[in-house]
Amino acid sequence: MTWTCEQTEARLSDYLDGLLDPAEWSAFNQHVNACAICTPLVASVAHLLGGLYALEQVEPPPQLETAILRATVGVVGTKHDFWAWLRGLQSPRFVYSAVSVAATIVLLLTASGFNWRKPKLADLAPATVYRKANGQLHVTYARSTKFVSDLRVVYEIQSRMNESDQNPAMRQETIPQSSPKKEPGRTDNTNPSTPKQQNRANDISRRLEVLACEFPFLSSSLVDRRVP
Amino acid sequence: MEQDAQLVQQCLQGDGSAWEELVRRHTRRIFNICYRFTGNRTEAEDLTQDVFLRVYRTLASYRSAHGGFATWMTSVTRNLLIDHYRRTKRDRVTDSLDDAMPVVENKESVGRRPDEQALLGELSGQVQSALTRLSPELREAVILRDLQQLEYIEIQRVLEVPEGTVKSRINRGRIELARILQQMGVRPA
Repeated sequence: MTWTCEQTEARLSDYLDGLLDPAEWSAFNQHVNACAICTPLVASVAHLLGGLYALEQVEPPPQLETAILRATVGVVGTKHDFWAWLRGLQSPRFVYSAVSVAATIVLLLTASGFNWRKPKLADLAPATVYRKANGQLHVTYARSTKFVSDLRVVYEIQSRMNESDQNPAMRQETIPQSSPKKEPGRTDNTNPSTPKQQNRANDISRRLEVLACEFPFLSSSLVDRRVP
Repeated sequence: MEQDAQLVQQCLQGDGSAWEELVRRHTRRIFNICYRFTGNRTEAEDLTQDVFLRVYRTLASYRSAHGGFATWMTSVTRNLLIDHYRRTKRDRVTDSLDDAMPVVENKESVGRRPDEQALLGELSGQVQSALTRLSPELREAVILRDLQQLEYIEIQRVLEVPEGTVKSRINRGRIELARILQQMGVRPA
C-alpha cells in the first residue's frame, strides 16, 4: 500500500487514536519513517497530545456554586450557604487579612501595656488603654532620647580616639588631665590651640571621666590604647 | 446519567435540592470547558453562571431520549461560548506570542518528580495559551475530545455536525495546535 503526505495529515488522529487497520498502520509507519516532512509533524502532534492530557482540571472558585444558585433559585438554603461561606474563608486573601488584623490587634494591645499573662477585662476599657498607651509612649520616648544621647557620646569618644591614633601630636591636647601643668581653658606655647578647640577638648575630657567612672573596663582599655 | 435525568424530573416538580445537586455535580466540568475555551478565570466564572441560568430556564425542554443531560448541558455551554466569542471578537486584542502567560493549575499532581512537574506545568501553560489562538470551531472540538474525553458520537450531538466533520475538526485542530506550539518555540523532546 502506498502512502502520501496528504494521507498522513488526514489520518494522523486516527493513527494516534489507534483507529487505523494493520495495513494502514504499517503503510503510515513506513512513510513517516522515510519522510522528512511527516516525521516532525507526527512527533509534534504526539507531543501536543501529551501536553493536552497533562492539562489538569482547574478548580472553580468556591463561591461559584452559591453564585449560580443565587442567580437561578434566588435564596440559597441556609445549610448549603453556611458551608459555602465556610469554604469561602479558605481563600488566601481572607487568611492573609485575618492574620494581619490579628497581628495589628496584638501589637496595639502590647503597645498599650496589656498584660497577656494576667488579662483583665478592665484593661480593655478605653480610658485604661489610653492611659497606659500614653504612659508607654512617654517611657518609650524617654528611653529613645537617652539611647540617642548615649550613642552620641560613644561616637564622639570613638572619633576622638581615632583622631588621636592617627595624629600622636594631638594626644596631649586630647588628654588634658594627663598634664598637671595644664589647666582647662588655658594654652601654652608648645601646643597652640584656639579657645574653641580647648573648650571642646575639656568637654570631652569631662565626659570621659564620667564614662570612666561608670564603665571601669572602658577606662582600662582606653589607658591600654593611649599608653603604648 | 440516569441519576441526572431523575434529578431533572425532581427539579421540574419543584424540588430545590435536586437543582442544587445538579449544580454541584456539573459546575466543575462546565467551568473547565469555559476556562479552557476562554483562557480566563473571570470570564469562565461568568460564562458558567450563564450556562446554568440558561439550563435552569430551559430545563423543561430537555428530553432524555435525545442524549444524556451532561451532553445537553455541554451543548448549551458550547452555544454560549460561541455567542461569547462572537460578541467579544471586536473587543479582543490581537494575540501576540509575547503575551503567552503560563497558567498555574490549582490541582497538585501526586507521584511526579519536581522536574517532571515543572516541565509539565510549563507545557500545560503553553498548551492553554496555544488553545486560545486556535479558531473557535477547532478549539471546541479539541477541548471536547482531548480535554473532556467525549466520544465522537457525543461531540457530534453537541456540535450538531456529522461524524466526519467532527473527526476532521479534531484532526485539523490538533495539527494546527501543534503548529502554534512550534511557532511559540515549543519543540518535542
